[in-house]
Amino acid sequence: MTDRILHAPPDLDLFAADHPRLDGVLPSRLDADPEDVAQGLAQLVLTVVELLRQLMERQALRRIDGGGLTAEEVERLGRTFMELDKRMEELRTHFGFDEKDLNINLGPLGNLL
Amino acid sequence: VIEVYAIVDADRLEPADGLGLAIAGDLAAVWGPAGDGEATPEALWRHEEIVETLIEAGDLLPVRYGTRFAEAGAAADAVAARHDELRAALDRLRGATEVSLRVRGAGSDLQARAQARNRVHQPLSQLARASTCRPEAPGELLRAAYLVDRDAVPVITRRVAELQGEHSDLSLLCTGPWPPYSFASA
Repeated sequence: MTDRILHAPPDLDLFAADHPRLDGVLPSRLDADPEDVAQGLAQLVLTVVELLRQLMERQALRRIDGGGLTAEEVERLGRTFMELDKRMEELRTHFGFDEKDLNINLGPLGNLL
Repeated sequence: VIEVYAIVDADRLEPADGLGLAIAGDLAAVWGPAGDGEATPEALWRHEEIVETLIEAGDLLPVRYGTRFAEAGAAADAVAARHDELRAALDRLRGATEVSLRVRGAGSDLQARAQARNRVHQPLSQLARASTCRPEAPGELLRAAYLVDRDAVPVITRRVAELQGEHSDLSLLCTGPWPPYSFASA
C-alpha cells in the first residue's frame, strides 16, 4: 500500500499498529519448567487431535447430508463420534484442560477451533 | 454463480480478463465467475484489483465485495430494478476518485475529535465534491474520505501537507486514489 500514500506524517509508525499483527498468537517467552513443557505438549497434541476430530465429524455430517450412506452406516458413524467425543473428554479431564484450553489463537484469522 | 464488481455505462467496451457485462438499459454490471466464497484477504485484494483495473478504463460505481447472483440475467434484473438510483449514483461519481484521511494525536475524547474535525476535516472538505466521516478506530481522532476530481488529487495532497505543518500535534495519513467506495451508496 506504500504507493498509495499521498501524505505520510513524520511518525508513520503510529499507524502501523493498525495492521494485523501476530503478537499474542504465541507467548513471547516460553516457560522452561519441565512439568509445564510436558503439559504444554499435551495441550498441543490434544488440540491437534480435537481439530482432526472436528474435521472428521464435519466430513461425516456432509456425507450423511449427501445421502450416500445407508442407515446402518450412519448409525455406526454416529456411535463412533459419540465414542470419540467421550474419549476426548476423558483425556481433557486427565490433563486438566477444559474445552477453551484446546484452542489456538491464530491472530487475525481468529481461533483454530 | 457470478460475482459483480461494478456498475458501468453500458456503452463501454467489453472488459477483458474473462469479465462479462450484464446489460440493463444504459447501465451494465461487470461480472466474473465467483470464487469459493471465502472472504480471505487474497479474495478481497483480487476484488480490489479488478475494480481498480476497471476504473482505469472509465467511471464506475464500485460494488461491495461479495455481491453474487446465480447468473448474468439475474444481475441485469437487479440493476434494472434500481436503474434510476444507480444511474444517479454513477453520474455523481463521474470523473472523481476517493482520497482517504486518518488522523491521530494526543487524547481521544470528544473534544479532541471535534477539534480535529474543525482543524483538518473542515478545510479539506472545502476542496472536495463530497466528504464523509466514518467512525474512528481506537486511538484515532478522525477518519474521513473525500470525493475529488481525479486531477485534483495533488491539490488536496498539498493541503494535507500544509495542515500537517500547521498542526504538529496531529499525525495525518492520507492515502489514495481509491475507487470511490465511500460515496457509492445508492
